[in-house]
Amino acid sequence: MHIKDLFSSLFTYTPDDKQTYNFNLIEDPNTKAYTDSNLGKEGNDKTKIFPSLTVNLDYLKSKYNLLINSDIIFREFVLNARGKQYNALLIFIDGMINTEIMNEFILEPLMMRNKNNLYEGSQNRVISEAVANNITVRKVKKFNLPNFISSCLIPQNAIKQVSTFEDSISGINSGNCALFVDTLNLAFDIEVKGFQQRGIEKPSNEIVIKGPHEAFVENIRTNTSLIRRFVNNENLVIENLSVGNITKTKCGVCYISGLANEDLIAEVKFRMNNLDVDSLLSAGQLEQLISDSSNLNIPQLISSERPDKAASYLLDGRVIILVNGSPYALITPGILSDFLSSPDDKNQKTLFSDFTKIIRLIAAFITLLLPGLYVAITSFHHEILPTELLFSILASRANVPFPIIFELLVLEISFELIREAGLRVPSPIGPTIGIVGALVMGQAAVSAGIVSPILIIIVAITATASFAIPDYAFGFHLRVYRFVFIFLGYLCGFLGIALGFFVYMIAMCDSKSFGVPYTIGISPLEHVKGTSYYLPPIWKREYRPGFLNSRKETKQGHISMKWKNR
Amino acid sequence: MENSKISAAEAISIVFGIFVTYTLVALPKSMLESTKTATLINIIYVGIIALFITFLIYKLLIKFPGDDIVDIAEYLGGKPLKVFIGIIFIFYFLFSSSILLRNFCECLKIVYYPMTSLIFIILAFLIAICVTLHHRFSSIAKVNLLIIPLVVISIIFLFIANIENFSFDNIFPIFGDGLFNTFITGLGNLGAFGGITLLYFLPPYLKEPQKMKKVYLTSVILGTIYIILCVSIILFMFVSLMYTNQIMPLYSAARHIEFGNFFQRLESIFLLIWILQMVCYLCIISKISMSTFKKITNIRDEKPMIFVFALLIFAISLLPKNYAISKFIEDYIYHYMVIIVSIFLGVFLLILAYLKKRKKKELNTNHEQSI
Amino acid sequence: MNNLFKKIFIALLIVMLLLAFSKSYSTLNIDNLSVVVAMGIDVSDKNNLAISFQFTNPSSVSESGTSEQSPSIIYTVDASSISSGINLINTYIGKSINLSHCKVITFSEEFAIQGISDEIYTLINDTQIRPSTNIVISKTSARYYLEQSKPLFENLITKYYEVFSASSSYTGFTSNATIGDFFDSLICHSCEPYAILGGVTNNSTEYTGTTNSENDSSTKSNASSLSGQSTAENTGLAVFKDDALIGELNSIETLCFSIIRNNVDGFLVSVPNPNKANSYIDLHVTPLISPKVKVNIINGTPYIQLDCTFTGRIYSIESGADYLDANMLTQISNSCNSYLESILTKYLYKTSKALNSDINGFGKSARKNFLTLEQFYDYNWREKYKDSFFKVDVDSSIRSSSLLTES
Repeated sequence: MHIKDLFSSLFTYTPDDKQTYNFNLIEDPNTKAYTDSNLGKEGNDKTKIFPSLTVNLDYLKSKYNLLINSDIIFREFVLNARGKQYNALLIFIDGMINTEIMNEFILEPLMMRNKNNLYEGSQNRVISEAVANNITVRKVKKFNLPNFISSCLIPQNAIKQVSTFEDSISGINSGNCALFVDTLNLAFDIEVKGFQQRGIEKPSNEIVIKGPHEAFVENIRTNTSLIRRFVNNENLVIENLSVGNITKTKCGVCYISGLANEDLIAEVKFRMNNLDVDSLLSAGQLEQLISDSSNLNIPQLISSERPDKAASYLLDGRVIILVNGSPYALITPGILSDFLSSPDDKNQKTLFSDFTKIIRLIAAFITLLLPGLYVAITSFHHEILPTELLFSILASRANVPFPIIFELLVLEISFELIREAGLRVPSPIGPTIGIVGALVMGQAAVSAGIVSPILIIIVAITATASFAIPDYAFGFHLRVYRFVFIFLGYLCGFLGIALGFFVYMIAMCDSKSFGVPYTIGISPLEHVKGTSYYLPPIWKREYRPGFLNSRKETKQGHISMKWKNR
Repeated sequence: MENSKISAAEAISIVFGIFVTYTLVALPKSMLESTKTATLINIIYVGIIALFITFLIYKLLIKFPGDDIVDIAEYLGGKPLKVFIGIIFIFYFLFSSSILLRNFCECLKIVYYPMTSLIFIILAFLIAICVTLHHRFSSIAKVNLLIIPLVVISIIFLFIANIENFSFDNIFPIFGDGLFNTFITGLGNLGAFGGITLLYFLPPYLKEPQKMKKVYLTSVILGTIYIILCVSIILFMFVSLMYTNQIMPLYSAARHIEFGNFFQRLESIFLLIWILQMVCYLCIISKISMSTFKKITNIRDEKPMIFVFALLIFAISLLPKNYAISKFIEDYIYHYMVIIVSIFLGVFLLILAYLKKRKKKELNTNHEQSI
Repeated sequence: MNNLFKKIFIALLIVMLLLAFSKSYSTLNIDNLSVVVAMGIDVSDKNNLAISFQFTNPSSVSESGTSEQSPSIIYTVDASSISSGINLINTYIGKSINLSHCKVITFSEEFAIQGISDEIYTLINDTQIRPSTNIVISKTSARYYLEQSKPLFENLITKYYEVFSASSSYTGFTSNATIGDFFDSLICHSCEPYAILGGVTNNSTEYTGTTNSENDSSTKSNASSLSGQSTAENTGLAVFKDDALIGELNSIETLCFSIIRNNVDGFLVSVPNPNKANSYIDLHVTPLISPKVKVNIINGTPYIQLDCTFTGRIYSIESGADYLDANMLTQISNSCNSYLESILTKYLYKTSKALNSDINGFGKSARKNFLTLEQFYDYNWREKYKDSFFKVDVDSSIRSSSLLTES
């Protein structure tokens, strides 16, 4: 290396060959790159299937982008029916079908290979014959190829004849296969689903002690089978609706006809049929799309992953909505008492379940109001505290530099951070981080003199109480609104909390869920049949909830335990 | 509002709530001031009279099913009388609730917020009212049904917890200031039954009009019993000179509660419950005033008037220059307002309308007979 | 745009309310308070009051809970009234004073003789003072009494203040006089106020108290035979006429007061032994029902009948005595009856003749004799009380003993 090279490398100009990779999706956000495509806006026009196979094939090739789509399979073959051969086409999506079923029960019976399909006679069958004046008149029954294929040739359990492309395409998309035959202007939609899915497991978020331990899965057919096994009655109706212009997600509306109120069923179907969304991917989205509006963001539909809970609500007269691809069922309507009750309440003795209901009510109040009340009491109303408690609070706060409101907000927000982080930490250390994080952080903060120990206790009790709420959405709602009450308590003490609580109650009493007032049955002075916050003993549960207006009022005889009277 | 119907239990609790709210501030004190130790006898006597009046009102209102007093005024005297009566009642409602709010906020200021100006305490109440008035009347009635048992339980708790501080001899001498004072001058205590005013406006709201008799009579009986309870707490706990000089006697009674060494000075919790009841009462009164206003002016929707009514309450409550004037108004003038407006004027109107209706019926039957 | 205006308006409202309420917040927030646990009021020269405030340092209550006593700090200030005294202390200390946890208010004896109604009115009207605050009249200066109030078995002096009057329910030698009751009695036309009598024991064992009987239950504060660490004691009652102190009751008289007021759950008395002279039997007596008081106005003077019903158990035994004999029990009952009647009568005549102060509240029962308040006020019960006649009936049934052995 010469010094000359060194100098030249230092001081000569070398243009920057490397260019930074610069990819912009859109130059100017105000100008659109494309005009809106027509995807999802097909509307109600349906294209009829053509009799010619080649035309059908071309149509489908363009629809499915066959040249670039890798898992759409087109299988052309020759169909042998009663001695005659037709060209046929089978379309399916690789990975979604069960190939054994397709080979054994569709291709084999239809191809020439099947010796049972041989026939030598005439295609048309003579029914009757009459001779008059040397003219023979024969009544002939023409050979109906579609009926022959579907009723005699294909031994598959579910087969449907469709006449529009849209129906056959929706069948192919959900895992069936479509059979097109030359000269027929209809297609066959044959059930051959065989995709992988998660097996039935224990519920992960709604754990009970005495009830069954099965939970819903993603496939709607499995879920409906779980419900059917509980209800065990032919009056259980599961209607099919599809929501979403692009995804056309299958949703099932379940109710027991003869029990559920007709207006409720009509309202549910009306709301679901009048949604203009491109896609629907989960039950949570559907819940937000069909809920009544509420200022409070309270959950107005119950979502549950337990089939026994869904079945018990069905038998009360409610309507269940299942969404394909989501393991949660939506139960309408949902009132306040439902969000504070657990599916285990009916499995246990009334005394125990009423006791736990009282605990849950206390937990709801603590989650919502305890931090706010603490701030209010220490800021304005400290005379309530016993003198010794006041002294321990003062002593523990002696070295803390922050005012109470700031301490409380810091602790609450860090607790929410820990909670959120605990969801994302990989599972072996997940629970440990939650507990260790909270304890260590709390203890370290107290030792450093940043927060006072009394406040740690308050925040810990609040957090524990929030975990005692059975419904996740309702618990979330309480967690968010406690910040409002903290602020009100800081602002003007008990006056702020009382006024805030009043407005909160008014907003809650004003909300409705599918036509039912949200707080029905809460007040002990207003008696609605079959509805109350506390469960009566089992022999008293004669009536279905009155607010559902179901078509059968009683669900138990007046004396349900007839064996006692013998 | 039009479609908000309330059930029988909610109607009873609304009317009862008016009795409750006034006793929270200074009603027991003014009653004790006028009839001293004979107040309990006096309340029973006045309660029976009020029950008769309620029964009379019920009997007259039942002839006009589904109509409240403004509609009956229209039937009686046409539009001018309807507007006149409507304005009187709206003024009565706004004035009495503003003065009550002012007195309550003065007490709150003395106890809790000595450094804050009174305007802001009243403003806090009004913000809450403005927000809740956008909701329906039936949800306010539902919340009232939830709050009333709380208040009643708090008063019963106050009674029971203070039993050791009671001296039941305070009821002697039994006739207080004399028979004349108890029974004749003591008729002024009819002003405690301000809840009767609401009975004129209830019929359009009832979901089950056939239960009207039960609603009306139960609410007045419950109100009487409740007033007896409140007055007895104060009568037994304090001596005569003391209860005439307190700003909020029930609050002072709550200060004496003591359970052992650690449950002392629980009066803040009582005030929390009483604030709930006060704001609930204000919402109900404002709602009824607004719907009356809508009736007399034929506007389509009364929602834009929410701010106007709230500002009116705010302004009227700040009218008295100092606390002495507003206390005087509540102690003395309010009683006579109740007696004149709700008892005399209302019953008088109803009787006139009933006579007119009967006359019309007679004319009709005479007309038919002559045909 | 509408939405934006709405949001700005709401934000403005919140800021306004924050500013308005923050002044009260800074006054009442616990971080800015120093907590007074007791107050004392003395006479100072120039017609002023010497007000003492007793604080305790809450930092001494640490997390681990130490076993050392928290020291109490006393500040005294000379002022013309209680409110100006509080003002002066506020400027001196820095944190604002809060009286919500004040447990004891002490007046010195010389101050109480002059009349304390002004101070009582000021204190009772203060929103922070609890009506259940004990009121003590101290035989020494109030400041000295506060200094000597050292808790024996508790760490915090507030705990001591909370329980020191609890002995009234099982001995009857003191009472739980509160400022609320004092004020009620002060303005009521039918009774007179009373307060706890406090003092400081001397280190010497010399007995300087006056004796009414042979047994040693006639002590009162500042004159008792208690010896121990120099500490405050509360035995006896201070009797007021209107708002001025006019007399004191010793322990046995306070016991009679507690019996009549039904403040005592059970008490010990030594009654003369019916069989042996100069010997006493200790009984534990429990009231069965509250004493019945009947007041009749005969020829303008009150005639007061008092009926007490007790049940009792023998508490101590002499050797060789058999107390479970039915005859014996009846004799002991009779002896107890006569003893209690004598002390009650003596006490009642002391209140009426010597002190002319109806601290027992007989005036409330007297009201039954009048039909209207005006008649009662015209009668002027407070002055007529000194002419009253009393009749005391005690019925005590000694059921059995609390002894494990018969004799």
